[in-house]
Amino acid sequence: MAEEEDISHPSIDPTFYDLIVVGTGLPESIIAAASSAAGKSVLHLDSNSFYGSHFSSLPLDDFASFLQSQRNVSRTESPSSIAGAVAVSGDCISVDLKLRRLYSDIEICSHASPEVLAPSRKFSLDLSGPRVLFCADSTVDLMLKSGASHHIEFKSVDASFVYSGDGRLSSVPDSRASIFKDRSLGLTEKNQLMRFFKLVQEHIGSAASFGDEKEKNGRISEEDLESPFVEFLKKQRLPQKIKSYRSHCPYLFVNQVSNLIILYAIAMADYDQDNLEDCKNLLKTKDGIESLALYHSSVGRFPNALGALIYPIYGQGEIPQAFCRCAAVKGALYVLRMPVTALLIDKGSRHYKGVRLASGQDLFSHQLIVDPSFIVPSPSVLPLPDLLQESSESSSLREVKVKVARGVCITRHSIKPDLSNLLVVFPPRSLYSEQVTSIRALQLDSNLAVCPSGLFVLYLSALCDDTNQGKKLLHAAMDALFTVSISENPENSAAPVQSEGIEGEVKPSLLWSAMYIQELATDSSEAINSAPMPDGNLNYMNLLDATVKMFHNMYPEEGFFVETMASENIEDDGGLSD
Amino acid sequence: MASRRRMLLKVIILGDSGVGKTSLMNQYVNRKFSNQYKATIGADFLTKEVQFEDRLFTLQIWDTAGQERFQSLGVAFYRGADCCVLVYDVNVMKSFDNLNNWREEFLIQASPSDPENFPFVVLGNKIDVDGGNSRVVSEKKAKAWCTSKGNIPYFETSAKEGFNVEAAFQCIAKNALKNEPEEEIYLPDTIDVAGGGRQQRSSGCEC
Repeated sequence: MAEEEDISHPSIDPTFYDLIVVGTGLPESIIAAASSAAGKSVLHLDSNSFYGSHFSSLPLDDFASFLQSQRNVSRTESPSSIAGAVAVSGDCISVDLKLRRLYSDIEICSHASPEVLAPSRKFSLDLSGPRVLFCADSTVDLMLKSGASHHIEFKSVDASFVYSGDGRLSSVPDSRASIFKDRSLGLTEKNQLMRFFKLVQEHIGSAASFGDEKEKNGRISEEDLESPFVEFLKKQRLPQKIKSYRSHCPYLFVNQVSNLIILYAIAMADYDQDNLEDCKNLLKTKDGIESLALYHSSVGRFPNALGALIYPIYGQGEIPQAFCRCAAVKGALYVLRMPVTALLIDKGSRHYKGVRLASGQDLFSHQLIVDPSFIVPSPSVLPLPDLLQESSESSSLREVKVKVARGVCITRHSIKPDLSNLLVVFPPRSLYSEQVTSIRALQLDSNLAVCPSGLFVLYLSALCDDTNQGKKLLHAAMDALFTVSISENPENSAAPVQSEGIEGEVKPSLLWSAMYIQELATDSSEAINSAPMPDGNLNYMNLLDATVKMFHNMYPEEGFFVETMASENIEDDGGLSD
Repeated sequence: MASRRRMLLKVIILGDSGVGKTSLMNQYVNRKFSNQYKATIGADFLTKEVQFEDRLFTLQIWDTAGQERFQSLGVAFYRGADCCVLVYDVNVMKSFDNLNNWREEFLIQASPSDPENFPFVVLGNKIDVDGGNSRVVSEKKAKAWCTSKGNIPYFETSAKEGFNVEAAFQCIAKNALKNEPEEEIYLPDTIDVAGGGRQQRSSGCEC
């Protein structure tokens, strides 16, 4: 070992790997772990001093400074500015990498004296919140399969609610038994939900034993499965327009609580399913039933989980770290605080060859996966006309349409005094007539070790087309939940007027809040894979699918976590109690 | 669950690459030593049952999995540790000088509620090398540092010869047990999706 090694720029050996991964977000970390498990040599780098990239959970101060550091990243719009400086040295062409701005319109407001928020490290705030896992979702299965589950513990989300207008919250039943017990639902609604749950169960049951003619009775027809879910719900003769409810919320077209629950709090639809003009993603019956099935199988999977949803203690950032640890145990080399500055491309073949580090060291690999904050140089904009011409259509120019508006709120009181960890969904048009997307809110308390005791953290997110729309969505939800309207300058706001919030309770006041718009689209070219950004969903399932696909594209001959140490535990994952 | 928590003690071993962290663990748990050095691969943690005052405890000893090489251990690694073992090589001055960095890193990352009294144990390893002739850190110097950091227990060990390893780990276990667990986080509603996997895991690790 060198006597005087520069601690900030240590030299890395070996210099050649099967795979170099830049960025420790969840998709990158899963790929690193899967590739290491498949016997590949992996170097995993991150320019930050912490794990998780866009999926990390950070202390309060670090969370704010991470977002603020994004202000310095220029917005690159014109394609000519995308490619960095190109230099030729030896048999390599180096192309400087540029960063894109992934977070914009960052607003951070503190309404509390600094000492309330003083133990910054007692906070563990998710950059990609709100996010939960369904007990039966594929992420949980993958954690069990890979052994990552040994490094994470979870707690239940106590309950979920759908906001059905005018301060009314209806609880989302997690089983037929709980439908009966629910006092917020009317008799008609109870009957509908019961019937519907039964229908879905029969369908799932028959699907499991397909081919058997007798079992076809319980099945939903192919035609129905391809039809819009909302039409299917209507076909179940769920009575139209309950008058009393209509008056609660004049904006809603689907004005029936049971439908709201199914569409937005179980199937987690983002867009108004009853307004085809605004609806960018009309849910098919097939997908709706799948969500219900997932929900159904999540309830009761782990004996001491209260409902369908769980959340990791210390925050979502534990999950990428667990996969990195799995990768390290299998031999992956980890280097934090090490930025990558340029891509190295072979002069002859014009294929990807390696990366140049901030230390100046060049490292080489067969494959590369990069964090979504890098602009992958598109061959067409390089001043080398024949470079990788086969992928000449520029991926960097992909239209960026949908974004995610995210918010983090810190309060001293729960939005629902008798509960600590809960999910609230505001369906489209439940708060105002132009509310085009669902807003999801997840409140967590200190027993999840995400904040000091006595405080609560609430995450908000909504899909949006632009910043104004996104901010309006989050402000509407914040106004419905809290007293300080952060649309005003906090210095000007007088003593908060106590106003009635959810279910007539006194609204908690905001101590601190952050709001930002996150980009969704990422680049990908044929030689270089760009990992996905956190999506607008509540769980990781779509991201996981994309990750598995990326792995198989890279290593078509390899299995995704085939040999695992924990394989003997997969079958009985029933959360053995003591 | 609360009792399960007390039965399981998490110990993490820190120190520069190559000081013998994995060898110490292996000598203690498996009574084996390999002369061949490889940066740690394949072990997540090792477990060993220890008896203390008529009660059985499971010592879960976490290795750095090589992530210490570029100071890239994540905060998750440090969480919930009941005792932190700091290891240096008595023949390498830099590994001793770095003890302070490792200790501080631990206190920042793990942020224990009572940092003054958090149990550390320091091990000066590889005292067997060259019959002690290549030694550059004296016992006196090491002990002085330990005293200055709140009387950290100090052991001189040889993982290769098994010297003092058992005694050191007994002290580690005793100190881990004395550490008060971190408050309300481990309430009975914690869901372990691996289903008691932590216990089962030990059988999978000994291969």
